Amino acid sequence: MEDSVSAGSGNGADIDSQATAWAVRSAERPLDSAEQRQLDEWLEADSRHLGAYVRAQAIWLDVDRIAALDGGTQRDVPAPASERPWRRYAMAASVALAAFGGAVAYDHLAGRISTERGEVRRIALDDGSILTLNGNSAVQVRYEDDIRRIVLRRGEASFEVAHNKQRPFVVSAEGLDVRAVGTEFVVGIEDGGVEVTVEEGVVAVGGKASGSARPRYIRRNEQFVAAATGPRKAVLDAADVERRIAWRNGVLVFDGQQLGAAAAEVNRYSDLRVVIEDPTLARAEFMGVFKLGDAQAFAGAAAQAFNGEVVRRGDELVLVRQQNSPSH
Amino acid sequence: MDRQAQLRWFAREVLPHEPDLRKWLGGRVRGLDSCDVDEVVQEAYARLWTGDPDAIRNARAYLFVTARHIVGEHLRRSRIVAIDLVADLDSLNIIDEEMSVHRRLSGQEELARLYEILQTLPPKCRQAFELKKFQDFSQRRIAEHMGIAESTVEKHLAKALRLVSDAMKEAPAGAQDGRQRERRFWKWG
Repeated sequence: MEDSVSAGSGNGADIDSQATAWAVRSAERPLDSAEQRQLDEWLEADSRHLGAYVRAQAIWLDVDRIAALDGGTQRDVPAPASERPWRRYAMAASVALAAFGGAVAYDHLAGRISTERGEVRRIALDDGSILTLNGNSAVQVRYEDDIRRIVLRRGEASFEVAHNKQRPFVVSAEGLDVRAVGTEFVVGIEDGGVEVTVEEGVVAVGGKASGSARPRYIRRNEQFVAAATGPRKAVLDAADVERRIAWRNGVLVFDGQQLGAAAAEVNRYSDLRVVIEDPTLARAEFMGVFKLGDAQAFAGAAAQAFNGEVVRRGDELVLVRQQNSPSH
Repeated sequence: MDRQAQLRWFAREVLPHEPDLRKWLGGRVRGLDSCDVDEVVQEAYARLWTGDPDAIRNARAYLFVTARHIVGEHLRRSRIVAIDLVADLDSLNIIDEEMSVHRRLSGQEELARLYEILQTLPPKCRQAFELKKFQDFSQRRIAEHMGIAESTVEKHLAKALRLVSDAMKEAPAGAQDGRQRERRFWKWG
């Protein structure tokens, strides 16, 4: 980099300075060809350069993850009181309807809204759109004159977008931009990537993570996944879409899913965890409708369905097949 | 795995073990100063990065073993091999508890630690970094907000990252006595 390049490979500390400079620049924008050549040359000069560069990039990225853990409550914003540009678009939630109790962790300055495990919140935004935040999730609302932008920091959220052609509604999540005009859709960040499911209308998916320079259109009952293995699109049936968004109404619906996957879903909303150690039991298909957070009801129903029993172990509900003991 | 996913894997599976690795290297191998430790870590990261992440089941053990190899190669290359260094290297053969036991910080602890580190940054550096990371501002927008040139923003950010990543070389206070903590704070990995 023009001002930080020093001759030779340098010692570990010099290398770190260069590595962090490159990491910041390459995260901000694509490098131009001269820069890319310079970086490649630097990386090839010494294998330690690659190690330092990877380390710097990984830390840069990891700070995003840590920053997203901030619900906006435990932090005082240090910026000068006189000038806080984000105050202008900070105001998003006029009404917050708590579906499952607890206080809204909502930072007016940053427009950040977050939920704890097991709570689902419906929030009316001031343009008439409705945002429903799933458990253990966080968004940042950033409305400006010409764009309504929501940044999904973690978890999952569903959007019912008020129509306004002059002010597009864009949800950003991990490098994916989902643009809508008037429609209903769900965006979730999972381990494997970002998932977009459209209930109504059409959205345009773009951004770095979409794997395409041109927007892709996702329609009703379609799903787009920006995964590490590459983007993919799937067509769902209406019942599947409904099942996927049932959390919004405070219930979980299972309709032939494997019990193990169902338990993982239940555990997202409960401090009591359902544990299934028997692999054949975990693969069994299961049906049922449960209130969010009611792990006990789920475990009880599953035990009944598969002739098993529930063993309490600390804050775990372990589902086991009934032992063939002679008497009880 | 694409590059972003691999970096995330690296941040999740490898980075948390770095402070322990540094402590282990520094404590076990006499004559290995902090600068050498930096080099061993950089070299080990380069090898982990070019390896196949899917094949690496236990990143912590892999990292420790790789680092030990690197120290060994380094010693074989150097003309004069101090006897006590060789003895120390042998002691690195012992795959001890430190290689397999690790306490992961909870999210709140990670956040608290990040804030603590941010306190130590020069004010402008910190402001730029916070606007970037907590507000998702672009460099251009940070420049407008702070009334400085974009290239200065980039320098502030690079310096901030440098200082943050230096601070992350050391284990946070909470992790050091991790093993004495309650069971429920533990995760094995």
